[in-house]
Amino acid sequence: MIRVDISKCTGCKRCETACSFFRSGRINNHISRIKAINLYDIGIDGVVVCNQCKERYCDCCPKNAITIGSLGQVVISQTLCTLCGVCEKACPIGAIEIFNDFVYVCDLCGGRPRCIEACKEGAITHEVDEAYHPSLAAFKKDTKKMNPSQKQYFYLKKLGLEERKKWRKNRA
Amino acid sequence: MLKYGYGGRVLRIDLTERRFRIEPLDSSWIRPVIGGRAANTKRLFEELNPDCDPLGPDNILIFGIGPLTGSLLPASAYYTITAKSPLTGILGDSAAGGQFGAEMKLTGFDQIIITGKADNLLYLLVTESGVEFVDCPEYRGKTIIETTTAIRKEKKDHAIQVAAIGPAGENLVLFSSIVSSGNRVNGRAGMGAVMGSKNLKALAVRGTLSLGVADPLAFLSEVKKIEKAILGHNEYQKRYKMGTTMLMKDLNNIGILPTKHFQEGVCKYVDEISGQKLAKSYKVKNKACFNCHLACSRYYMVDDHEAEGPEFETLCSFTSRLGSRDLPFALEMNAYLNKMGMDSISTSEVIGWIIECQEKGLIHPDDLDGLSITWGETDKIREVVDMITWRRGIGDKLANGAKKLSEGFSEEARKLVMHVKGLDMICGDPRGIKAYGLTYAIASRGSDHLRAEPYFELTNKKEEAKKRFGTEKAADRLAEEGKAALVAYSEKIALLTDSLTMCKNIGLCMDILNFENTSALLKAGTGIDYSPEYLKKIMGDGIDRDFKLNRRFGTKKEDDTLPERFQKEPLSEGPTKGSTVDIKRMVDEYYRIHKWEG
Repeated sequence: MIRVDISKCTGCKRCETACSFFRSGRINNHISRIKAINLYDIGIDGVVVCNQCKERYCDCCPKNAITIGSLGQVVISQTLCTLCGVCEKACPIGAIEIFNDFVYVCDLCGGRPRCIEACKEGAITHEVDEAYHPSLAAFKKDTKKMNPSQKQYFYLKKLGLEERKKWRKNRA
Repeated sequence: MLKYGYGGRVLRIDLTERRFRIEPLDSSWIRPVIGGRAANTKRLFEELNPDCDPLGPDNILIFGIGPLTGSLLPASAYYTITAKSPLTGILGDSAAGGQFGAEMKLTGFDQIIITGKADNLLYLLVTESGVEFVDCPEYRGKTIIETTTAIRKEKKDHAIQVAAIGPAGENLVLFSSIVSSGNRVNGRAGMGAVMGSKNLKALAVRGTLSLGVADPLAFLSEVKKIEKAILGHNEYQKRYKMGTTMLMKDLNNIGILPTKHFQEGVCKYVDEISGQKLAKSYKVKNKACFNCHLACSRYYMVDDHEAEGPEFETLCSFTSRLGSRDLPFALEMNAYLNKMGMDSISTSEVIGWIIECQEKGLIHPDDLDGLSITWGETDKIREVVDMITWRRGIGDKLANGAKKLSEGFSEEARKLVMHVKGLDMICGDPRGIKAYGLTYAIASRGSDHLRAEPYFELTNKKEEAKKRFGTEKAADRLAEEGKAALVAYSEKIALLTDSLTMCKNIGLCMDILNFENTSALLKAGTGIDYSPEYLKKIMGDGIDRDFKLNRRFGTKKEDDTLPERFQKEPLSEGPTKGSTVDIKRMVDEYYRIHKWEG
């Protein structure tokens, strides 16, 4: 999985840009599988990407279009997918998004994520421990009725408020 | 047909009628200007009535981006806002980075042209399909970030980017700014007041189109070279740590750090207010504009204040320039000005001018409603800044800027306003950086370094100076010789950088862009041929267009000068001691290079 350290994120969106460019040859944050959000209200920047959560909330596709790959990544069969939106709704942090009739979610670029190469700050790294799967249960209830963008914001704000507590302490 | 790089469309918005129109961007129109700042000026040149009231419905407010904005090119974040300036009455524009330009690109509009005046405070949401007009009287008085957050919440989309005005813009402070991405400021020439005069609180953009380039592999290979050049630059670490605030000590070391309103060039307590001190004591993290891996911006916390920045100009403007050694106060002011939407340089100038004039007995407190203020008096400065923001009491007069305020005073006092063509001077004493001095004098929006940013004169590269500009003196900061040639080169690269668009701090100051690599980038990016010679020519045409436009506004050759202080009073100590600027000589030579008549 891709591990995110928001304390190092500068909000430059190089991860997002690289993701959409190398996967589609074009640039647009809607078609990026990693989302960088600038939370100007709390001075935090961060990215949302599939956490390969313990719960595997998205693995509930009525058409069985979602499987889990050997790297733990979410694999979508675009042929089985009917764009019903169940997976998008199920993800508590907005890491799956449907845009222009296509489901976008991080699949680790098949093992060599381009976003990690693009980040010069080390804010996103490749987690080598394959058994590490964080729980997103704490977000599930709160973000139930939100759209992906709202979920991303809610998730990062929660992490960001924790991060802010460290700011003055780290400096001292 | 414009297929790559460009969105290929222009959006025209009439606020009076609440209507919009989408037009194709004609490739023969855009090719000779590329985009960004040059395209905005061309639009103004063709469509603006030069006699219009800058704060009336006929003024044209243009948001413009270039073919490479929001692309894989590092720091391709910039967008330019252009209009007739209410502060100076001539060409006004101001650029900023952040995330706004890149998001605007995804709407498919290369230019957004706003005219008229709304009958009620509103904001605009621009998407691929056009414009939504949203009334927002309840936003009156909201700060920039409050406005941004409110729009995102209302539209349930936190990727929306917003360029907004704060209370200063609503109150038509003539040097109010437009701010996007929280703290990225279109600061100069009063673009905020133009927006305020149109009752436009904010322009929000959210794009769904995706940006493609003509030859992705060739483009990628050019981008890789540029990324490498930035990472390998000898100032990379320094800039990463401090951004432009590194200049506090750098300028002080050569004796040109404006101190007490340009009366001195050496600040004895610079260590207390330096970029180093800021990075060590208050910075909490690095911040970056779109797709930039230099990340020269910083976020800080101090007492109850926090914000992104400050850049060097703001830091100097609220420390040494006003005789203050209080760094936390400057950080508080940076946060306040960004929140309220007001230009730090012009705000500092009006205060600095009053302090100096009062010190010299040229202005009595009774002339200013009892206002009496002296160097470093931070409580008083805070109060005055607040009065200007809300045009409260004497603040109402100060909000018109130092030059207009000075018109009611003696000639001696008027001479002490540090401005060119009505725009307040940036921080950097021209007596020790002559090419910069020339740039301030000739810059088409008034006193400004960014029109040319002739950083080369500080590099001391003598041999290269001889090769590129015909004399070793071009790399000697205290010489006038060769500076016109240097400025005439740098201003073209500056315009090119602003037109692509890219960050000038990287493209120009770090000497990254030149006509050759830009030619390759444009070819791979847009599919359109731009030879280096053609680029030189059209950038030269762009400089001519600025000149002609300003002549329509009534400027004359005599206006291309510097305040008397820099021509006649030498600095009394430090490495620039004894130097004055022979501005006429440089301006004459510069006019000869351009083949301009007086």
